[in-house]
Parts: sequence; C-alpha cells; structure tokens
Amino acid sequence: MKRYLVAVPVCLGLAFLAVPAKAAPINVMADACSGCHGTDGQSLGAMPGFNTGAPDAKSNAELKKLLRDYRSGAREATVMDRIAKGYSEAQLDAIVDYYKK
Amino acid sequence: MMKLSRRTFSGLVGAAGALSAFGLSGCANAPKVVVIGGGFGGATAAKYVRRYMPDANVVLIEAGKTHFTCPFSNTVIGGMNQMALLERNYDVLANKYGITVVNDLAVAIDPVTKTVKVKGGTVFGYDKLVVSPGVDFKWGALEGYDEAASAIMPHAWKAGPQTVLLRKQLEAMPNGGVVMISAPANPFRCPPGPYERASLIAHYLKNNKPKSKVIILDSKDAFAKDKLFKEGWEKMYDNYIEWVPAAKNGKVTKVDAKAGTLETDFEKFKPAVANVIPPQTAGAIALATGLADKSGFCPVNPNTFESTLHKDIFVIGDACMAGEMPKSGYSASSQAKVVAGAIAAMMMGDKPAAMSAINTCYSLLAPDYGISVSGVYSVQDGKIANIKGAGGVSPSGAAYQFRKKEADFAGGWYASICQDSWG
Ligand SMILES: Cc1cc2nc3c(=O)[nH]c(=O)nc-3n(C[C@H](O)[C@H](O)[C@H](O)COP(=O)(O)OP(=O)(O)OC[C@H]3O[C@@H](n4cnc5c(N)ncnc54)[C@H](O)[C@@H]3O)c2cc1C
Ligand code: HEC
Repeated sequence: MKRYLVAVPVCLGLAFLAVPAKAAPINVMADACSGCHGTDGQSLGAMPGFNTGAPDAKSNAELKKLLRDYRSGAREATVMDRIAKGYSEAQLDAIVDYYKK
Repeated sequence: MMKLSRRTFSGLVGAAGALSAFGLSGCANAPKVVVIGGGFGGATAAKYVRRYMPDANVVLIEAGKTHFTCPFSNTVIGGMNQMALLERNYDVLANKYGITVVNDLAVAIDPVTKTVKVKGGTVFGYDKLVVSPGVDFKWGALEGYDEAASAIMPHAWKAGPQTVLLRKQLEAMPNGGVVMISAPANPFRCPPGPYERASLIAHYLKNNKPKSKVIILDSKDAFAKDKLFKEGWEKMYDNYIEWVPAAKNGKVTKVDAKAGTLETDFEKFKPAVANVIPPQTAGAIALATGLADKSGFCPVNPNTFESTLHKDIFVIGDACMAGEMPKSGYSASSQAKVVAGAIAAMMMGDKPAAMSAINTCYSLLAPDYGISVSGVYSVQDGKIANIKGAGGVSPSGAAYQFRKKEADFAGGWYASICQDSWG
C-alpha cells in the first residue's frame, strides 16, 4: 500500500508537466533548423520565424516556394541559400510540413 | 485512504522527490537517460530527449549553477556587452520540461553497472548516457602555461571569470600597449574564435586606445574564414591587427606568466596583455572514463554518436570527433538532436533515422560587420561530411549592407539557439 502510494504520485507528477503527449513526432532533420529559427520555428530575435499562429504567418505553400527558391538560387539570401542546397525539394517540403503541423 | 494527514502528505512528497532525484522512475519501464554537462550539447540533448520521449526520466548533471556561453563572450571582451548577456540557467528545463537538474560535478562513470556518481555521493543509474562536457586544457603542453599561469595570462576559452579577467586587463592597459593572442594548432574549440576576438579587441582599441594594437601569434598557417577576416581587417583595422603565421615563426613555444613573456623559437615578447589559448582535449570526465583515444577526443559512431569504446554512452559536442563538423555550439546542439532521436528510436525498438545535422558559425568583426561559415552534414562513406554543394562561407567583397545583415542575424542566431537549448 505504501509503495503504491509512492509510485502513483511520481507517475502523475511526470504526466502533469507541460510536455506533449506520448509518441511525439521525431524529425531530427527538421529540428536542426531551429538552432537559427528557434524551437518549433518560434524565433525570438532577428531571424525570421515560421510562427503558425501569427496573423501574418506564411502558408505551407509559401514557405515551400521560398525554400525551393533559396535552393535553386532564384531568391537572394545571406545564408539560407547555402543551407537549402543541402536538401532535396522533397526533404524541404517534409520539413515545412513538420513545422506547420 | 483519501484522508491524507499532513504528515502522510509531506512524507509522500518527500519520497517522490527522493525517487526522482535518484534518477529512478516510479513508472515501470520509463527510459532513464542521464546527461552530463549543461552546455550547448547537454542542455539541448536533455530537452530534446523529453520532446521525443515525453515519458522518459531525464537527469541533467551540471557542475555550475548557471552556464556562461562562449558564443558572444568576445563581445564582452570587446566591451560591447555585459556578462549578464551570456548567463543561462536551468529553470525552464526543470520546470517546463520536467528534467531533473542536478547541480553537481560528475566524478565517475561505470559503463558496466551503467551508473554515474557525482561529487556529493549520489549514484544515478541510466539506460542511455549522454556525455557533453566540452573541453579541458592540456596544462603544461605549452611550456610554462598551467592553471596558475592562466590567472595572470587568461585563456578566456571557457566563459566566466576568465572572460572578466581579460576584459579588465584590456581596460587597465595604457594607450600604446600591445595585446598578444596565442592561437593553438587544430583541433580546438571554435576555429574562428581567436580571429573574432582579435577583431573585437581591435574595435575597442581603435575607439579607445588608438596607439595600441593586437598581434596574433599563430601555430597555424591558415584559419577558418581567413580570406574574409583579412578582407575585413584591411578595411577596418589596417594598423590594429597583425597576424603572424607559423611559417613566419608565429608559434608560441614557451610562456613565463610571472615575467609576462611569450617566446617563439627565435623571439621573446613582453606584451601589455597576453591571451593564451592553450591546446585542448575532451572534458576530464570523458578522459577518466576511457571514452577518448590517444588524440584526446572521443571516437563515436557517426550515425548515432554512440561511443565506439563504451556501449550506451553517447558523446557529443567539443568532446567528440565528428568528422567535418567543427567544434561549435551549433554543432553540439545539432548533434544533441541526432542523439535524442537515436536514443528515442533505440528505446522504442526502432532503427535511428539517417544522421542529419547543420552547423553555422557567425563571427563579428565589428558590431555591424558579420561573416559566417555554414555546413549541412550527413554520413558519407562512413564519415560525417558536408553535403556537396551546400554550406560554405559568406561571399568575398560583399557590400556593407550584406555584412551588416549578417551581424544582425548573428544576434538573432544567438537568441534562437539559447532559447532552443535552455529555454
Ligand atoms: C570565444 C569563443 C567564442 C565562441 N563562439 C561561438 C559561436 O559564435 N558559435 C558557436 O556555435 N560556437 C562558438 N563557440 C564554441 C562553443 O562555445 C562550443 O563549441 C560549445 O560550447 C560546445 O558545447 P559542449 O556542450 O560540447 O560544451 P560546453 O558548452 O562547454 O558545456 C559543457 C558543460 O559541461 C559542464 N561539465 C563539464 N564536465 C562536467 C562534469 N564532470 N560534471 C558536471 N558538469 C560538467 C561544464 O560546466 C559546462 O557547463 C565559441 C567558443 C569560444 C571559446
Ligand atoms: C544559419 C542560420 C540558419 C539556419 C541553420 C537555417 N536558416 Fe532559414 N533563414 C535564415 C536567415 C538568415 C533567413 C533570411 C534569408 C537570408 O538572409 O538567408 C532565413 C529564411 C528562411 C525562410 C524564409 C522565411 C520567411 O518568412 O521569409 C525559411 C522558410 C527558412 N529559412 C527555413 C529554414 C529551414 C527549413 C532550415 C533548416 C533546413 C533553415 N531555415 C535553417 C537563417 C537560417
């Protein structure tokens, strides 16, 4: 009984914390981008974010187009062109889908 | 049973607290992950293990109450920012992410019993252990430069009191004094770091002590982003920075901190301020555990960062050998995510996804003049390598506006990565 009392609050304690539900999506390739763009794309500073909630948030299609243009060189950039060239178009699309889930 | 007396209630909380503090979980089968080091690698690893495996029991062992980042510490040395900018704490990791943060020094890892012991005596069991202790210095490898010498001639290659000491020496130096930076041979933490530092010191001197200059005595003949640094120096610091490569006898071979002298094979100098960046190894705990090879750094499986010497221990950041990835905060945090993903997959009985990582190092030559080097990495022929066609350095000869933008993005990067690692 005593053991039971102790064990349950620990589980509850963990479940209580502000963490997402189980089986969180894992996307290491996409999360590498957040070193510049912030966790979940929520940039705090000068880096552009891909905030999902903001009224001026870009759509999936717009972000995908931007990334393809960085990759091809059609869009000028300071660094995004150098980064986007490391991925295929399909990979870039998948990254956008992960952030805008 | 529902009538919990106050005594029972506090007893219960106490017991639960003790259990989690011991790194044991009350929940059957919750994976136990211990992380050593709360810098860029370790903090990010702890956070992302919890993001990928919300039911994991994560213990983060960090020796300091807070962590002062090396990134942007050169701006403090150059007088552009204060120490407070660099200080990170563990409150969000503990409170929002449910990580058990242990403020103590890990003193022993037993890879057989899979336990970590801290100085305070507590022993933590683990299923998977992440080791991200950063670097330690090879005291004495440069003749005369030991820990006592660093109190006179700071290295400032770990941020904190050493950063403050170097800044104070620069402030106290008379106009006309010479600053010397001794830069080490490869590999070392932050390859462009010494040159960013020289730039920001020169920026300070130009505005405050115009008769002074910086001389870099180098153990190498080339360095990260050297073309871009030289372009900026020519524009801004023509009489303020002198770089002496190894081929021109730049390698410092002996130091006498008390006498205030630096020696190369042929000359002896007595600068007003000496900043000696010594040769480095993986952090002491990695060496003590036998995680390093004779290079002083830790060999790892390039796909997962699991040590090739001890199973279930993953080494990331400056301490590991990550192929073409340089030793940087960005690399460490990107590697941490690879490890978090690999551990989550392994614990769930899946195959880890293909390794994928990024590095970008911004360097400031002045508050409004930034440059960068970038890479996107995968495993190619069994080694971590930059993907062909991706990455590289900022363009040469770019207009002022471009350099200014990159300086702003450097600040944006720092805000983002600190949030991504500790926030
Ligand atoms: C001047 C300078 C400028 C830099 N600028 C940049 C930059 O602009 N961009 C960039 O990406 N990188 C930069 N770097 C490099 C960056 O600081 C490192 O690459 C990065 O900190 C490595 O992360 P890490 O997790 O390996 O180690 P660290 O961040 O050093 O973290 C190690 C942590 O482990 C703790 N620790 C060690 N041993 C133990 C133990 N036994 N028990 C408990 N805790 C322990 C330490 O207290 C420390 O908090 C710079 C470095 C310097 C010196
Ligand atoms: C080194 C920092 C850095 C990294 C790493 C990085 N970005 Fe960027 N990103 C930028 C900057 C800076 C811009 C603005 C354009 C420029 O100057 O390069 C940008 C712009 C963007 C934009 C356009 C946003 C807009 O609203 O205009 C998208 C989308 C984007 N990045 C996605 C990504 C993805 C996806 C990754 C990972 C594969 C990534 N970024 C990695 C720095 C970075």
